[in-house]
Amino acid sequence: MVSAIVIIAAALAAEFMLGLFNERWRAAAYGVTLFALGFMAFISAEWVWAFAVYDAQPAEIFTAGVQPPFAINLRMGFPEAALTLLINLTGLFSALYLRRALLEKGRAAMAVLLVFVMAQNGIVLTRDIFNLFVFFELAVIATGGLMLLSEDERAVAAGFKYLIVSQVISAFLLIGIIFSYHATGVLNFDLMRPEHFAAAQGGAIAFFLMFIAVVAELKPFPANGWALDIYESAHPAFAGLFSVASAAATLYAVDKLLVLGGPAWLPVATGIGVVTFIAANLLALPQRNDRRLLGYSSVAQIGLILAVLGQRDILGDHYFFVAGGLIAAHAAAKAGLYWLSGLVASRDIIGWSTLRGHPVLIFAFVSFIALLTGLPPFPGFYAKWELAVALAGSGRYILLALILIGALIEAGYLFRWLGYALKRDKPSEEISCDPSAVTAIIAALAAGWAFAYLWGDLSAHGNILHAVPLLFALSFLLLDWLPAWVKNTVAIVGMVGYFILNYTDYDPLRLIFAVIILIGGPVILLASYDAHGRRIGFYPSAMLMYAGLTQLIGATDFFSFFVAWELLTVGSYFLILRGKHSEPHALSYIIFSLGGAFLILTGFALAATVSPLPMFEALQHLTGETAGWVFLLLAVGFMTKTAAIGLHIWLPGAHAEAETDVSPMVSGILLKAGLYGLMVLMLAMGKQRFYGIDIVHVMLWVGALSALLGNLMAIFEEDAKRLLAYSSIGQMGYALFGLALMNHLGWVMALMFVINHYIYKSMLFLSAGGVAKRTGTRLMYKMGGLITLMPLSFIAVLIGIIAVSGVPPLSGFGGRWIFYNAILSAEHRLPMVITFFSGPIAFLYLFRLIHTVFLGQLKDENRRIKEAPFWVILPQMLYVGLLMAFAIVPGLALRRVDTYLNQFFPEGGLNWEGITITSQFGYWSPVSIMIIVCAIFGSLFAWLMFINRRAQKVKQFNIVFAAERPYRPETTHFAWNFFAPYRKALGFLVQPFVTRFWETIADILHTAGDIGRRLYTGNPQTYALHFLAFVVIVYFFWTGG
Amino acid sequence: MQFDWMKIPYALLTLFIVINFGYLLNSFIAKIAARVGRRRGIPIWQTYIDVAKNYGLRTSITHGVMFYLGPVFRLSGGVGLLLFVPSIYGSSMFSNLSFAGDLILALYFVFFGTLGMALGAAESGHPYSAIGITRGLSQVTAAELPFALAIFSVALQYQTLSVTDIVAAQQGGILHWTLFTNPLAVVAAMLSFLGSMMRPPFDVVLAPQEIPIGPPTEYHSSYLALMQTNRAIFPIAKIVIYMNLFFGGATDWPTFFLKVFLIYMWSVFVGVSFPRFRVDQSIRWFLIWAVPIGVLSIVLV
Repeated sequence: MVSAIVIIAAALAAEFMLGLFNERWRAAAYGVTLFALGFMAFISAEWVWAFAVYDAQPAEIFTAGVQPPFAINLRMGFPEAALTLLINLTGLFSALYLRRALLEKGRAAMAVLLVFVMAQNGIVLTRDIFNLFVFFELAVIATGGLMLLSEDERAVAAGFKYLIVSQVISAFLLIGIIFSYHATGVLNFDLMRPEHFAAAQGGAIAFFLMFIAVVAELKPFPANGWALDIYESAHPAFAGLFSVASAAATLYAVDKLLVLGGPAWLPVATGIGVVTFIAANLLALPQRNDRRLLGYSSVAQIGLILAVLGQRDILGDHYFFVAGGLIAAHAAAKAGLYWLSGLVASRDIIGWSTLRGHPVLIFAFVSFIALLTGLPPFPGFYAKWELAVALAGSGRYILLALILIGALIEAGYLFRWLGYALKRDKPSEEISCDPSAVTAIIAALAAGWAFAYLWGDLSAHGNILHAVPLLFALSFLLLDWLPAWVKNTVAIVGMVGYFILNYTDYDPLRLIFAVIILIGGPVILLASYDAHGRRIGFYPSAMLMYAGLTQLIGATDFFSFFVAWELLTVGSYFLILRGKHSEPHALSYIIFSLGGAFLILTGFALAATVSPLPMFEALQHLTGETAGWVFLLLAVGFMTKTAAIGLHIWLPGAHAEAETDVSPMVSGILLKAGLYGLMVLMLAMGKQRFYGIDIVHVMLWVGALSALLGNLMAIFEEDAKRLLAYSSIGQMGYALFGLALMNHLGWVMALMFVINHYIYKSMLFLSAGGVAKRTGTRLMYKMGGLITLMPLSFIAVLIGIIAVSGVPPLSGFGGRWIFYNAILSAEHRLPMVITFFSGPIAFLYLFRLIHTVFLGQLKDENRRIKEAPFWVILPQMLYVGLLMAFAIVPGLALRRVDTYLNQFFPEGGLNWEGITITSQFGYWSPVSIMIIVCAIFGSLFAWLMFINRRAQKVKQFNIVFAAERPYRPETTHFAWNFFAPYRKALGFLVQPFVTRFWETIADILHTAGDIGRRLYTGNPQTYALHFLAFVVIVYFFWTGG
Repeated sequence: MQFDWMKIPYALLTLFIVINFGYLLNSFIAKIAARVGRRRGIPIWQTYIDVAKNYGLRTSITHGVMFYLGPVFRLSGGVGLLLFVPSIYGSSMFSNLSFAGDLILALYFVFFGTLGMALGAAESGHPYSAIGITRGLSQVTAAELPFALAIFSVALQYQTLSVTDIVAAQQGGILHWTLFTNPLAVVAAMLSFLGSMMRPPFDVVLAPQEIPIGPPTEYHSSYLALMQTNRAIFPIAKIVIYMNLFFGGATDWPTFFLKVFLIYMWSVFVGVSFPRFRVDQSIRWFLIWAVPIGVLSIVLV
């Protein structure tokens, strides 16, 4: 094994060798640089391999053959090996990326780059505190030099400011070291003890000075203006290196110092870290410049890791796993993003849309954003989970909340950026595809995925990347070159096959969800055969969502449930984002979803610390105040997904703007994930009180209000798909209401809604989508009279609205009948009043849908349109059949569930004997109703046919119109503002209070960010003041006052 | 609740009785309304003449399939509603087809005809029809609410959804009627009743006095005849539910005729005394006056 000191020696040797080169031998010099960096990386890799595979012991390297304190020593342990590997690889690929710049500037620049990388290695390896100072100085000087690689004219000023401030910091460090030497008598990390600092006079101040100086190298808020200028103006390759390598090295230096300082310093590190994390993310929010945004994000990520370093007392064995996971994710993502920014000409984040048309680069960008936001399967996700569990387990709730709030803000600006890149108009200038730059980016991408696999393997919860559904979904990334119909077939076969292989494992409750996801999903996918071309990106996203859903119903422990939850969220986000105008709506969807997910994470973390049991049992065993908290957090988290009123504003846009076949997926299937979560939660925990308030009772009200307001908002919509989307809010409100009744029939009703809503909402969305496709608009008043042109779509809507409104004989009536039976034995009566009202209102918007689109006057521009495409109609006709079947034999699906529910709610089940279904209160015979209604209808129809056999079909305008002849369909089709009287009477109920509330919060955050970033004036004197303020504030914080 | 083939002719007999009663009742009430306005009014058999004339008209046109189906839906709704509820308490002969479902079936089947009619009228493409539909649908959502609350209250009171059981519980004297045991529910329901009878102050939907406006604008000849038949059946079917739930039901046909007539007269009294509301006014009226009473009845039951 090569000694670690060779890393430093190799760099030095190469630097000196470069000095001997002729200025014209640039290619050779560049080769030497690359070779040196490669060799350094090789040594680190060898050590990592030795530690990981052969369980090697840490190696101590003594210089001058003398033991410390008489000489400097270095150490190569596992963390050192991993960090130096990270630093050297980043250095190597940065050098590769910098090829053109280095060849242009010559050997001096290459030597400075080597000095920089060597210094970072030294900071990691050294065990001597003065030596640490020396390497810091080297890093600072090298940074100043490397700033000159940039073509940005502000780089020189930024580098100069950096040098000045760094000298101030170094002064602090040096004075601290001098006093420490005075206090402890040694300069070696291993020989100093926390007691030394405590015992000696001024020892604590000495440590404070060292600590504050090293922490200041991490660019904490607010002492980081100079660093932001560097991030913004440096060459992107160097900015990446600066963000990754110096952060990794300095964090390790902080870690070494914290061991010296003892536990008293951990809260200080946490405090600085978490304030930095939140503040930097907040300041990034209004940021439009990509590199400055990345700078803020780097500052924030490093702050987060610093906060994690401060939690080493509770993280125990997971300390390196968590901190390492965050560092690894930060490294791959930040290097990759900076490198990508070098390819993009525009400095505005909207300009990143130029990446479109380069699938690999877009995939890299998506992966980097996922790495940064800690989504599965990347290491940040495992780290987030372990951190949350540790924090919740030791009662550090406020810290956990702060970290999650910061993470949510971070997700906000990162996903907004992603949305711009994927959806905004592509600028005219193309990206510069320098092969060496692309190689570096692909290396970062590969590293990100390798980290994902590695952390999965190291995780105690098993590797996310080993789950079959996820692998199936990811495999579509490789199949994306195939035509859409082939992928569609593969997807359908895969899902149905998975169901056939696994359906016996589900209990009746899960089976219903499994059928909807794995059989219902493919039925909707039939409509996807209508798409032509390759439909790049659709299948990976859709299958990721289905994989998440499938894993969700199979999950038995908290971790896998949460993984599945995040997967389905991410998949559906990309699916929704595909719509033409869906960018802002997809953003609001992902922010609400992640907010909900963080609540779920907190709830799970709280519950998981109480007992190591599987999820269901662990929830059952919770008691006392914790139980109330867990229940509340999880319930609100799940209700975000079902778009309960107050948390619903993301839904209308997201569902309405999605593509024709995506809307039914996200409405008919995805919404059920929230209901499934609620069912699991409520089955396990029953009713819970939160400081005396019965949460389930509150949910009953929320469900009822969602049903009312969702329906009310739907009747005032002019856009067909938005109308259906609002209707979903109402329908989910009903289902939530049923669950919150907490009795047998309430649950049967909720399950019936799950099935019914899947069928009719998928059908209606497909129908509305098909019509929108043909007419080119979703505005209903622009349609009208389409019944003869699109008869099959009309039939689907007709059957759909009969079913939704609950009119016998279709299946919606069964839902209403069970509803009445359920509320008769419910505890609370008042919320019912609201649901009574919302039922008939549903009838209004449904009628509007069918009237304004299919009936009334046909417009001239629509006279030549055809029926919706075959593949869009086919699933609709299947649904018509299904609705009929479910109307006649509801027992097919519900009977087993009814029996299954007996173990949870023994009383109030249904009796399924014969053809009549009886409850404690009443009876219902679906078959008889169907026969009677059909008989009456049929005989009357025959009678009318007979007496009206000579009826003459007249033309469109042949109507009685006050002796006038109308001739414009636009003026004759009564459609716009259809329910004007309703608006006059009750319009005040649908004032957008909730939207305004959330908009105000977003505004406040943006304004705070905008005000906050004025701190950074660009003036070094202000920056010096910031640093002083930082020192003083930390000092007071540390001394406690 | 077993099915028996004999139920079919018996149900048809009920239908026959109710149609004739309804025809006569409609004319009679029109006559009463005329007399209140100091006019002579129509002869008692006028409805028969109108219906026969409309069936006999040779000219007939159609605007399309749904236009055709509108009256069929409408009349099926009326007939179905009548037959899903037992007419005469204690008589298996006139228990009709109530084995198919309970009170909730009747409550929701009301919408069957409304929906069909709205669809048919909408296909005519006449804007007045559409305006009539929006008015009707808007009003009915608010007007039905107190009735739904009253039904819930009554179901809670008797702990059953079976109409027969509810009537059974009210036997044994007038004081056993829901009217006296749960007066708030009955008040709420009777206020709701005004909204569903298409009489003032809630008749802006049909606006019968003005130029043709409202859902039936385009309907004529046999279509209109079918709807006229429904106008004879549907109010009675609805009143039968009220009678069964709140007024002790009927044990024989004379009681049936009397109670139906008296309940009907409640809307006539109000109708001839008050002027018409706009739809937004009637929505507010139901929500402000009738709904709180219904809510109170649920809370207190």
